[in-house]
Amino acid sequence: MTTRGDTRPTRLEATESLKSLIKTYYDDLFRAAAEGRPSVWLNVGVPCEFFYAMDVFPFYPENYGAACGAMKLTPKLSAIAEAHGFSADLCSYIRTTLGTVFSGEGPYGQLPRPTVQVSAMNSCVAIMVWWRAVERHWGIPTFVLDTPLVREDSTGINLDYVESEVLRMLSWVEEGTGRTMDMERLREVVRLSNEGKDLWAEVLDLRRARPCPITAADIFTHMFPMVALRGTPHYVSHLRALRDEVKARVDEGFAAVPDERYRLLWDNLPPWFDLRIFGDLAQRGVNFVIDTYTQAWGPRYMGTIDADNPVRSFAGYMGAGFLNVQIGKRLELLTELVRDYEVDGVVFHSDRSCKPFSLVQVELRNQLLERAGVPGVLLEGDHNDPNLFDRERAMGRLDSFLEVIDSGRA
Amino acid sequence: MSGGSNSASGSPATGSPASGVRALARFRAVAADPLAELAAAKERTGLMAVGYFDSYLPEELIMAHGVLPYRVAVTGREDLRSGEFIQGFACPASRDLLDQALRGDLVLLDGALFTRYCDSLRGVFAVWDSEKLTPYVDFVRYPTVTNTVSAVKYLAAELREVSARMAKALDAPADERRLLEAAAACNRKRALVAELAARRASRDLALSGADYLAVLVAATTMTPDEFTSELSALLAWPPPGEPGDALPVVLSGTTFDNVSLAASIEAAGLYLIADDLATGSRWYGVNVETATLAAGEGSGMYADPWEALAHAYLTRPPCSVKEPSSPRADHLISQVRRSRAAGVLFYLTKFCDSEQAEWPYLRDRLAAEGIPAFMVEGEQKGAGSGGLQTRLEAFREQIEMSGDEL
Ligand code: SF4
Ligand code: SF4
Repeated sequence: MTTRGDTRPTRLEATESLKSLIKTYYDDLFRAAAEGRPSVWLNVGVPCEFFYAMDVFPFYPENYGAACGAMKLTPKLSAIAEAHGFSADLCSYIRTTLGTVFSGEGPYGQLPRPTVQVSAMNSCVAIMVWWRAVERHWGIPTFVLDTPLVREDSTGINLDYVESEVLRMLSWVEEGTGRTMDMERLREVVRLSNEGKDLWAEVLDLRRARPCPITAADIFTHMFPMVALRGTPHYVSHLRALRDEVKARVDEGFAAVPDERYRLLWDNLPPWFDLRIFGDLAQRGVNFVIDTYTQAWGPRYMGTIDADNPVRSFAGYMGAGFLNVQIGKRLELLTELVRDYEVDGVVFHSDRSCKPFSLVQVELRNQLLERAGVPGVLLEGDHNDPNLFDRERAMGRLDSFLEVIDSGRA
Repeated sequence: MSGGSNSASGSPATGSPASGVRALARFRAVAADPLAELAAAKERTGLMAVGYFDSYLPEELIMAHGVLPYRVAVTGREDLRSGEFIQGFACPASRDLLDQALRGDLVLLDGALFTRYCDSLRGVFAVWDSEKLTPYVDFVRYPTVTNTVSAVKYLAAELREVSARMAKALDAPADERRLLEAAAACNRKRALVAELAARRASRDLALSGADYLAVLVAATTMTPDEFTSELSALLAWPPPGEPGDALPVVLSGTTFDNVSLAASIEAAGLYLIADDLATGSRWYGVNVETATLAAGEGSGMYADPWEALAHAYLTRPPCSVKEPSSPRADHLISQVRRSRAAGVLFYLTKFCDSEQAEWPYLRDRLAAEGIPAFMVEGEQKGAGSGGLQTRLEAFREQIEMSGDEL
């Protein structure tokens, strides 16, 4: 089987089962709050594994923000944050979540207040000011874990410092929640986390197949367990099911996009409110066979954590996380990906909200063309705010870009 | 108003009333064209120059190598080149720095030192580094957390590493004696700026806000000794002037190098009597403990001179990109109180994430203290618009009508 008769990509079964996983997660969040068990708000650069090992429920507002984005709730929630004085130019995740914090509105009503908050500096400055706003509004004790931005790697004095920060954070959380770190349990959580990450790496790798077995929308949807459930048993079983399904597709020669004519790479977060765009583009023979965003949880950035030395190992990951390294490393990644995934062109989603992800893209596009001969296009938009995305214009630009690729082939 | 008095530098004033007027004219000229001043300094000294962008970067690090430090000030010019390299939602101040380099204005710089500071500057660094906009470019892995011993120790270690790389790249080794001299020279100039600010705040010296900002620009673009000598003259022989009936307000924000914009703000009947700026009152209090530097390694409070330097810069009143940031609000309120200002003008640079998020907090803290505050969002460009004037006048009238005595 190489293609299917219908024109829109078929959903993965694993995507269906994801719904119950998400529901269970939110049920657990509310149950923990009702039972008075401690919880923590984290940004995606802070590993949840520590908190599962401490029995402190980890919640990721970025995940929540994305969910609200997918439900097209950002304009409404953002308006609430703006009415409190927060600029409409702030990252749309911030505006979305603060909208809920200030008003209690959102898909789940008001979110339970966390016992403590921890943010790391390894993605953006915006995260810190976001947590700060919650700290000030709700009075939640908040810890900023310093991970100074590096060029390529966290080693030497930088790694020592980040490790000391992780240790400082752990004792601060112990004090703030009354829970203690169980090192034996952490080792087990790390083992499960590593197992799941290996499965994730396999899924990413299976996308190299021609035709590609899944779409960008499929993989973006699966970010939730990678962020919030790492180290739990259901995370491993879910990823195994995902891997098995994708592998079966490859074995069958299944094409997620019938008549796959353009193998593209998506750079940056997706527009959560319009994942349909990937389906619409599939009708033009486009599949985004790989992306940079999901690589952040892949082996290049979040490798195997050493269960015997987890603190230092996590510190190494945090210190050189995907957005805590600079343009050289991004270019290296892009160059490898376009080669390994036989990419025809790169779509750089210029995400108005996300400066660390976006502000290197013009340079990356130019250098990638020079270095790998692969063309790229910048697509203006936003990951959560539909008001910052002109779909018609975007489709027009993409059509012209496909012509550029065609002319390159000719 | 006093004339010919001793200043914080401790040296008796020399010169005549004309020297104060001359010093002010020099500061105005430097602020209008700081690169001309750099060219002259290079010519005079025969030294290399390294540029930097945020006031957390210790200029003493550069001076320890026998190199001239130069803070690249925002020009506010409209001649944009950066659009071909970076998106328009990088903040306009950061793009202005890139524009200068792309226009070739910064050819006098032999190198540039970046920290992350904010995510716009981080993007500018990526372009700068990739395009090799100066022969030497380096990046300081600067801490965000400022209130821990480990951050001080880490920054000290990082400065040592950067210094070693700079020595190699520029063939200009650092020298502890020079580091000591640099810290002492910078302490002197910062203390003088603090004195100027204090005398303005107490109405002992009526320099306009625009002129005060010109002094701030000059403070980090002139050589410290030249600057100190000029500012000593200005303090000893302040040019005559009166604030008149303009309403005194504190200017709060990040950097603010646009003197003409400040002049047009003051033309709306406001007097920028004090500041809460990254390059102003949040900077001039930096005082490196030179006794430790002089006594050598392992003495005093710090393990070595780099630690003294790191500690001094990390413990300044914080910018909103640092953690904790709340002391910034206390600092702002103290600026209002000590200058008996009638309110705060918060200048928000467009696309500045940390300031955008800090504003509601500052606004509420000021309101709780009964201090009127007004936010203006802008691009640090040009000399201000008619619309801005009208809004500022409305702000002034609103305070005047409320008749608040602070
Ligand atoms: S700016 Fe980017 S990294 Fe930061 S919270 Fe927003 S989307 Fe995430
Ligand atoms: S104004 Fe804000 S965003 Fe711009 S360079 Fe300064 S700190 Fe960065």
